[in-house]
Amino acid sequence: MNRLRYSKTVIAAAAAAGLAVAVPRAVSTQGGAQAQSSKAVVMKGRAPVSTEMLKVKLPMPAESDMPNGLHVMVLEDRRAPQVSFQIIIPGAGGYFDPAGAPGVSVMTAAMMREGTTTRTTDQIAQILETMAATVTVSGSISSPNASVSGSSLTENFGNTLGLAADILLNPTFPQAEFDRYKARTAASLVQQRSSSGFLANETFARIIYGQHPAGRVSMTAESLKAATPETLKAFHKARYVPDHAVIAIAGDISPAEARKLIETTLGAWKKAGAPAPSFEDPAALGPSRVSFVARPNSVQTSLWVGTQAISRTSPDYDVLSVMDAVIGGGPTGRLFVHLREEKGYTYGAYSSISATYFRGTWLASTDVRTEVTEPALRDLMAEVARMRDEPVPVKEFEDRKRGIVASFALSLESPAQVLNTHVTRWLYKLPSDYWDRLPERINAVTIAQVQAAAKKYLDPSRLQIVAVGDETNVVPILKQYGTVDIYDTNGVKR
Amino acid sequence: MRHLFHRLGRGCIIALAGAATLVAQSAPRVTFTDTRMKNGLRVIVSEDHSAPVFSIAVTYNTGSRDERKGRTGFAHLFEHMMFKGSEQVGPGEHFMLVFNNGGNMNGTTNKDRTLYYETLPANQLDLALFLEADRMWSLEITKENLDNQINAVQEERRLGADNQPYGRTFEALEALAYENFAYEHSVIGSLEDLAASNVDDVRQFFRTYYAPNNAILSIVGDVNTKDVLAKVAKYFNRIPSQPAPKPVDMTEPAQTAERRQTIDDPLVKLPRIDMAWHVPGAYSKDDDALQVLATILSSGRSSRFYESVVRQQQLSSNVSSFTSGTRGPSLFQIISTALPNKTIPELEKAIDAEIEKIKTGPIQDWEIEKARNINKRGFVGGLGSSLNKAISLGQYALFADDPNLINTYLDRLNKVTAADVQRVAKQYFVATNRTVVVTNPKVAAGSGGVQ
Repeated sequence: MNRLRYSKTVIAAAAAAGLAVAVPRAVSTQGGAQAQSSKAVVMKGRAPVSTEMLKVKLPMPAESDMPNGLHVMVLEDRRAPQVSFQIIIPGAGGYFDPAGAPGVSVMTAAMMREGTTTRTTDQIAQILETMAATVTVSGSISSPNASVSGSSLTENFGNTLGLAADILLNPTFPQAEFDRYKARTAASLVQQRSSSGFLANETFARIIYGQHPAGRVSMTAESLKAATPETLKAFHKARYVPDHAVIAIAGDISPAEARKLIETTLGAWKKAGAPAPSFEDPAALGPSRVSFVARPNSVQTSLWVGTQAISRTSPDYDVLSVMDAVIGGGPTGRLFVHLREEKGYTYGAYSSISATYFRGTWLASTDVRTEVTEPALRDLMAEVARMRDEPVPVKEFEDRKRGIVASFALSLESPAQVLNTHVTRWLYKLPSDYWDRLPERINAVTIAQVQAAAKKYLDPSRLQIVAVGDETNVVPILKQYGTVDIYDTNGVKR
Repeated sequence: MRHLFHRLGRGCIIALAGAATLVAQSAPRVTFTDTRMKNGLRVIVSEDHSAPVFSIAVTYNTGSRDERKGRTGFAHLFEHMMFKGSEQVGPGEHFMLVFNNGGNMNGTTNKDRTLYYETLPANQLDLALFLEADRMWSLEITKENLDNQINAVQEERRLGADNQPYGRTFEALEALAYENFAYEHSVIGSLEDLAASNVDDVRQFFRTYYAPNNAILSIVGDVNTKDVLAKVAKYFNRIPSQPAPKPVDMTEPAQTAERRQTIDDPLVKLPRIDMAWHVPGAYSKDDDALQVLATILSSGRSSRFYESVVRQQQLSSNVSSFTSGTRGPSLFQIISTALPNKTIPELEKAIDAEIEKIKTGPIQDWEIEKARNINKRGFVGGLGSSLNKAISLGQYALFADDPNLINTYLDRLNKVTAADVQRVAKQYFVATNRTVVVTNPKVAAGSGGVQ
């Protein structure tokens, strides 16, 4: 590690009009001496970099509350003649699916646009698509929220939000369309089992979350078959309520215009007196387990290594974000540099944090050719261990932090994205200056804090290993890490 | 299309944002300068001060069409090598510097062009130009880092094709539809050809295709045009032009009979049909009508395929159609997967019936209006992103020698009439012009099989 490398072959482009001037350039070596954590990356330090950090202040939306409890956030941005909106409804996600009926949130959302008291599904499609507007209702299989979102050209925004309100408030869940939906969806439930990524995700969620709602990644053939329009109607009635919801509008519209439009279209959305949705953390993880999904004819192994971590409001969120950036938060992370750029095991290797209202996950994953499964898993585990055992070198640490802070400027190109950050802030009840203070908070994170977080969260006795691939070749390798639970592609344990 | 790595959620390439100064509801315009440097480098600059950000795109006029037999996948492998070091920039330093300074970047290769891009905070213009200029000037490649990227690209192939359901279908379709080698083979190439690539190949390819006169540099965002041009001169002027590469013969012999193939794929669970017809390339006159045709056939739930094949007849969960968008001879493609217990012949018959309807029956006014509005939204939506504009300007300049297509393309598409759509449908949707590939599940022991 930490060795700069000498280039041996040099190719020069300097070849003018037939005179090939292939200039062999002796490569200087220690320039900059900014060693990254792998010989695959050599920092010569000669490129002109501006050390100034652009001061970025996110524009603030206008915020207000409707009598029915709906929170309103409007970010006026006149740069393009279009408007986007999203209505987020906490409590209508699959986290709150009735017991034993996974997928009710997803089915309800999908069926809401299949007909209202005044419009059929094909009328809805034609009205929207002729305007080139979109309205999407999204449920979720395990997360807390559902949403109704969309966008249109400015001139059609009133009609678009009006139609969205109709879909939100007056869906009829027609039986004939539900039967069609079931046939299509049954096919996708079959189809998804051919994907290595789906199988890895399914098994990982099951291991990490157990019986917690977040352990679900899909409805089942049985729950799809069992659902009736009445199930969906009941879920819609109880869950699609404005009491704790937010509508966020960004684009070519003023806050006053937006508010008036919301009053016209969503004024009839009745407050239900529903309590704020509440959440439970998953049960604490048991000891490390090794799980394998046998997927015949695989030529790669999907490797997922992870654990339970934190919720979005955890005081460790910033520290863990920096830790994650160091180990695998993109092409500058150690996993990418080591497993791909140095070893050539994979096309990519990354890590990520998933944090919402309850304790979420930290996950590192990669897809590698079957033959290198053993060294790739060993190296991946070694990178996790290194996070715990060694302090991050100062230069690397500062680079990752600067990357996080400086990238914030890029979000300013999109008003919808800016507004999204404010919605996140509102949903998790973060302070109003949360984003303005992000640079300050990230810069305050220390190397010692990151190492302590790694020791705490990347505890080897709780790390879970999931692999999907070729059974004959991969299972013997996995046995080095413990007893291997083997599943087939239908998720059935042997 | 192949990328250097997975496109990441970082940065902001969301098609929802603002453009230059404009009055609501009028079509915005993109203003730009178009300059040819002494060494032949074409430089297009467009100012947009709406956010403290800029994007730079370098579009090289080379892609897998330029590959020779025995070296399939090389143009894309070469793209990976452009990150492995140049005179002043170490291996991997490029992406480290971009991400460490808050930027986003990637490289991507298709049949016709190879594209490199960065989006960065506005104060890093020198960094972006320096990085692009240095690797246009020189590459420093070792056998070791070539071998490393051969491995990475082979994994990219496995991830995108060999380990994916239907992953080999598109290669089978192109191989059958095209006779000319230029488009007959895939961008990702074969594992064997990738393994055979050597450092001499890299050197030769660089010399031939990575010359300033074979590239377009487009820069969009919070920059000053005069300042950009001065800096481009500072960083790029020392790079000499090269003799123009010999153009590849793209001629595709006329097809005289339908071509059909069935392949077994042990990774799939449901059978799929892929159809393709030869059509003219991107931005040709007929291509405009073909775009509208694809919208009418398959865009959204109000489309003909969805309403008939998916919703009414319940034969499939999705039918998509699109043109492959190549600069040379293109393909109009239709892809659909059968629902369980439905057969490919039933599905094919239903798709064929819709094709016949569009050739002979009426096209409704609202279907044309829908296509126009979708085009307009696509255009308006793309304007907010400096990267989107930089890439579009480079693409229009390379494919049509007309960067101003960024302003005029929408008008062109909006002139398409129902009669135009019917004309192209009749002209190209003929059996002798068609290639069909059916992908069937091959049930392997222990896989769980088809339910």
